[in-house]
Amino acid sequence: MAAFEYRQAQEIRDVFNRHACRYLFIGKSGAILLGFPDTTQDADLFVERSTENGRAAVAALRELGFALTDIQAGEIEQGKDFVQLKNGPFDLDLIFAPDGIERFSDAWSRRVEVEGFPVCSLDDIIASKIASHRQKDLESLPRLEAFREYRRRNA
Amino acid sequence: MKIPQEWLEEFEAAARRPLEQRMRYAFIRTYKPVLDDAPFRSFNTMEEYRQWCEANLPDWLGYGRI
Repeated sequence: MAAFEYRQAQEIRDVFNRHACRYLFIGKSGAILLGFPDTTQDADLFVERSTENGRAAVAALRELGFALTDIQAGEIEQGKDFVQLKNGPFDLDLIFAPDGIERFSDAWSRRVEVEGFPVCSLDDIIASKIASHRQKDLESLPRLEAFREYRRRNA
Repeated sequence: MKIPQEWLEEFEAAARRPLEQRMRYAFIRTYKPVLDDAPFRSFNTMEEYRQWCEANLPDWLGYGRI
């Protein structure tokens, strides 16, 4: 599979909007949308957990070309904490309960829009990386925090 | 907070690039053993996911907790 592309991010944005699905780009893919220069492999979406939003997410994912069985669709509608999709045109992680962020509505209120892409604030992205305690996330923290400082100075 | 000069130059260079170009530079594709070997996985809780990563993924991928 090829690397995730800008065009595919646009497709996510447009198709999720069409299905009125509420989500935010999170993780390093979110930071990259905010201007952080680094590398990553796939996109991470923080999806609001509700039955209605889950159904909208499933409809959007199917329209994008993800081959979801009914059981898999049900798990997304149910809003399992973490869903990893590698059965579509690109890899995608759906996160319904990211570490370090209490409620979707809080993150939504702090979101940043970049060319129509809804993105978690850098504070939320950093908070989730700190709370994950993962080696790879903690290693990226000093540079992410420096980027946050850079943005503050240039706001 | 002091931003290392090298990082500052990278941030400034990135800020001059359009988003499409930034994304082209940022997204790469490499095979991740085990992680990439199933078309779909789901976990009831993040803790369950973290434990699965620690039990199944090679340490060098960096998914383990410190």
